Amino acid sequence: MAKEGNEDEMVGYRQQPGKLPFAKPGSGGKERFSRPTDEGLIPESQGGELAQPWGSHRHDNLVSGQVIGKPTALVDGRWKVTGQAQYGDDIRLPGELIARIIRSPHHYARVLSIDCSKAFELPGVVAIATGADAANKFGVLPVTKDEHAMAVDKVRHVGDLVACVAAEDEATAREAERLIEVEYEILDSIHDMRDGLKNNEYPIHDRGKYHIGNTNVQKRVFQEFGDVDGIKTNAIASHKENWLFAGVNHAATEPHAVVAHWDPSGRLTLYTPQQVPHYVHRALADVLEIPMHQINVHRTFVGGGFGGKSDPFPHEMCSAILARKSGRPVRITFDREEVYWINRGRHPSRIEMNLHADDKGRICGIETDALIDGGGFASFGHVTTYYNGVLHTAPYEIEAFHYTGARVWTNKPASGAMRGHGAVNSRCAVETGLDDLAEQLSVDPIDLRLANLLPPHSATITGFRVTSIGMRECLERVKEESCWDEKFRKMPLGKGIGIGCGFFISGSGLPIHWDPNKFPHATVHLKIDMDGGVTVHTGAAEIGQGSDTVVAQSVAEVLGLPLDMIRIRSRESDTAPVDLGSYSSRVTFMNANAAISAAMQIRDELLDATVEITGADREKLVIGDRRIFAKNDPAVGVSYLEALHKAQEDRGALVASGAYRTPPMGRVHKGAAAGLAPAYSFSAYVAEVSVDVETGQTKVDKVWAAHDCGKALNPLAVKGQIIGSCHMGMGQVLSEEMRYGRNGHLMNPDLLDYKIPSVHEMPEIIPIIVESNDPEGPFGAKEAGEGPLLPILPAVCNAVYDAVGVRTAELPITPDRLLRLIERKCKTEGIDDQLDLQSPRLAHSELQAVLAARAEEHSKRDLERRMNDDREPYHNGALFGLDPTTPPDEVDERWAVNVIPSDDYLAEPRLAGNAWKHTERRHRGDS
Amino acid sequence: MRMPPFQLHTPKSLEEALSIAGELTSGGLEFDWIAGGTDLLPNYKWHLNVKPNVISLAKVSELTELNSTHIGAMVRLHDLANSSTIHPVLAKAADSIASVMIRRSGTVGGNICLDTRCYWFNQTEQWRESIDWCYKCDCGTGADCRVIPNQNTLCVATYQADLAPVLMCLEATIHLAGPNGTRSMALSDFFQLDGITRNVLESGELVTHLTLPDDVSEWQGDYQKLRQRESWDFPEAGVAALWKKNGTSKPEQLRVATTGLESIPMLHSEEVQNALEDWSGADSINKLAESIRKAVKPVQNTWYAPSYRRKMVKVLTRRACAGLLEGDN
Repeated sequence: MAKEGNEDEMVGYRQQPGKLPFAKPGSGGKERFSRPTDEGLIPESQGGELAQPWGSHRHDNLVSGQVIGKPTALVDGRWKVTGQAQYGDDIRLPGELIARIIRSPHHYARVLSIDCSKAFELPGVVAIATGADAANKFGVLPVTKDEHAMAVDKVRHVGDLVACVAAEDEATAREAERLIEVEYEILDSIHDMRDGLKNNEYPIHDRGKYHIGNTNVQKRVFQEFGDVDGIKTNAIASHKENWLFAGVNHAATEPHAVVAHWDPSGRLTLYTPQQVPHYVHRALADVLEIPMHQINVHRTFVGGGFGGKSDPFPHEMCSAILARKSGRPVRITFDREEVYWINRGRHPSRIEMNLHADDKGRICGIETDALIDGGGFASFGHVTTYYNGVLHTAPYEIEAFHYTGARVWTNKPASGAMRGHGAVNSRCAVETGLDDLAEQLSVDPIDLRLANLLPPHSATITGFRVTSIGMRECLERVKEESCWDEKFRKMPLGKGIGIGCGFFISGSGLPIHWDPNKFPHATVHLKIDMDGGVTVHTGAAEIGQGSDTVVAQSVAEVLGLPLDMIRIRSRESDTAPVDLGSYSSRVTFMNANAAISAAMQIRDELLDATVEITGADREKLVIGDRRIFAKNDPAVGVSYLEALHKAQEDRGALVASGAYRTPPMGRVHKGAAAGLAPAYSFSAYVAEVSVDVETGQTKVDKVWAAHDCGKALNPLAVKGQIIGSCHMGMGQVLSEEMRYGRNGHLMNPDLLDYKIPSVHEMPEIIPIIVESNDPEGPFGAKEAGEGPLLPILPAVCNAVYDAVGVRTAELPITPDRLLRLIERKCKTEGIDDQLDLQSPRLAHSELQAVLAARAEEHSKRDLERRMNDDREPYHNGALFGLDPTTPPDEVDERWAVNVIPSDDYLAEPRLAGNAWKHTERRHRGDS
Repeated sequence: MRMPPFQLHTPKSLEEALSIAGELTSGGLEFDWIAGGTDLLPNYKWHLNVKPNVISLAKVSELTELNSTHIGAMVRLHDLANSSTIHPVLAKAADSIASVMIRRSGTVGGNICLDTRCYWFNQTEQWRESIDWCYKCDCGTGADCRVIPNQNTLCVATYQADLAPVLMCLEATIHLAGPNGTRSMALSDFFQLDGITRNVLESGELVTHLTLPDDVSEWQGDYQKLRQRESWDFPEAGVAALWKKNGTSKPEQLRVATTGLESIPMLHSEEVQNALEDWSGADSINKLAESIRKAVKPVQNTWYAPSYRRKMVKVLTRRACAGLLEGDN
């Protein structure tokens, strides 16, 4: 019984007559008392002790010192390590059926007939579906919907879906699979991407009047910016390389799996490990011809995505169709081989890279030609075709940029989006090219880069608005920490060191489904009831990258709550507001911004309530750990729960909705939107390798990996992303490839022969976080999930050159490939024993001092631009003497933007440029 | 991926195992032995030559003896690798096999009897159907070999196990038991050049153990292995070299064997003999390495191209023999 004057009892919580008194609500969290604010986490701009060398930020006043910037274990980590997380295949519904997919054994064929009668006779078979059950096309991009749930008319690669069967158990389903008889008419298949540029009797898809000739060209891009005609006269050194990049697969730990359930109220729930639940939602509605509100997409735990689970997939449609037919839940789980058949991995690519430098060591031209192999379907390919060009127009200031790109259909599993989407291969070609230019100019490649960087708050040659840039700091840090100057071009044969940089979008400026209604990209709902816990509803797909944690951290920080008071509901489209999905490194930037905006509304209500209780001056109130108090007089204040309960009076739970939408950006030329982002990440890596010159085996010994993520909201997760990116990139550069045999078959669709680096291959990685404090990012943050992959490939390639003096232009650099190059070099130089090779050496030319001086000058320029908010505009071109304040193409006709190839160009096009020799059917009058 | 159904037999003794094998054989029923299962089960999941019966040796305790000259067939690779009594080169080879999890399960007998491997064979049923099957698992179609087409007489799948070359160099004797009693032979006589039959084991017969000569501890040497990754991967080429020195720079005896290159491992007695005849240290090792490069005939059915694997045999031989030159000067 409470005694008179019990200190636990307080004003506002009076007991009613005859009832037990309420306990004093306390601070709300597990800890009884609020922690004092750690001034080391409060920014200088707010009177705290956190240094801000990059200036203040618009979210500074929201910092309560709770969790932002602290290494934080992922909030769903314990679910995973205790085995309680439910992934796609862990969903078990009563009465479930198991479905198997019947797949094409042919590369390219017409489906003449499908006979299911024998399969239907098999006891235990419940439902069978074929292409006839789903006529509507779908695809992740609205402009290129070219997929069916199952083959309608044609199969386009070995493993393409033909039919599916649901049975009481897996054994029966597999037995039924053999009993379905399909009659095919085999068509001539194409496997070499170069053949895709030619006219063909039966193009793999028919796009009607938009079809380009009779070819298999799915998308073509032509872009010229800057003084392209001047390259020849300006250049004193030129690099040219023809690259061949093998396709690689995401190889996520979890194979694709899906469960569809058509419930008694007539609604469909689809359980699927998806990166883009919202696009699946739309595609299901299209294919099943039901309204979206009748569908609940339930994202399960995702066992790795990396872009491989970011398309609406045909097997998802299959399970839904079978569930509708059978009236029972239907589960499909892929074998690893099926993961390779659905693929969507990085495009096999042929890239011609030309780089030019002038007598001042400036980059006076980049000319890129990229032919990418899309496989059987479009997927994200439209975007990939642009990204192979536009994403290497920064971080360097350039005088001219010429890009021709083409994506072709071939009879292979479809390529799509994969970590570093579209940027990885061409970036590798650019960065190794710069290494070669530096070699030709006899200058240090890091200094060459430092003297050619765009300043913060500038516009690229393509018109991208770039805000925060930490590129210079990344380069300086890795240079210093790797002891670059003592090692570069100075180590013995077989030991090498190399540099590579990266530039990547932090969220794409345009959503995939274009928004005439100005829908936001991300929306977050908050609900707080009297218990004080905050329920966060978000559609952002947690795929292991830590998006649940980041959104929880953002809310916790703004409201001054410990992380355990935040609960995330991000799984179901029924309860989550629309979020576009986990792709293009958009989630932290957009979703955390939406969460902050929602939390700010709650924060305002709590502050109002505090004013009401205490009568304190609202302007002086600050939020600490579960306590709101006057900054000048901390004794004046209330606990979080007191304020909350006050705010809840007469209305109950507090709710708020916050949203994020990108600001208007970019130019108007065709394709101007591709590559636009509200912010960009930057990175620089130095890799040190050992090459066995007798076997060609390359081992990466150590990597210094600097990444500018704006602000590390969770440094633990950022480091994890950097290390994971290194692993993935190392796989592509050294051993991973989807290898096709002489008759077009994928030879290694399994994890034994698809060579992901093991723990033995992993080098020591030193992650270096650079925080450039992005003005629009949540608390200054930008992406860290994809950009960190880019630099590892060229860094390793350049290190291999430093070690043995050969440049590879084919990835992966498997030992047999590298040995062939070493042998060729020995032969050219008349050396009998590979061990007698000389590794490259460097004597600086006069240009070195010019570059060093310019780098120093630019360093000051950059510092000034980042600290001064009244800065003038800076457009790419200023380095070449143009007025920085206006876009050069508006004032200088030599810099005019051109997106249509001239007749001169078409007389002698580069490889992918050949795509422009054909005319779209609508323009040749035979549509 | 789903395991096809089979009847599992778990005899408690060798005698019982052989009698089950005898009964099945006389009943005309096919079966496979299973030891650690790390080779057989993945192949079964791919529906490669699945048998309706499987006899497990897991509970046959008399096959697990291990000492410096006796290695039971059911000794785990992990135990071999960590044994203090076994020859160090053998332990090194065992330690390089696959990954620690597989070594904990895989056995010496299983490694010796490893099925041959091929890009056109170690694939799912759907995949193999899409190439119209192959000679090694033709599923009743009489399919041709996909590696070397138009020859329907010999499977060229590759033997990719690590222990055999070392054991061959150590002159191991292999001991078999079957329904008709036991027999023994030099390990080099155990293998038969054919990617399908692989060795001389007859139906119902199994490997019980290997024995090594008494002077095994006087042999020195090395095992060198080529692979993409330092874990998991099967050897793309493997070279064992073992020798006995008598104080002079020329080895008193030298044996070199290779694996991962053809359908069986090979002991290169002739090449070694030629090199020893006119021994001159490093030059002889180079010549020996070159002659072994010429002697092996890998085909295009594993991760690396045959030309590279042959080149590497030369490098690996040189490296395996490097110890011969130590203390020479």
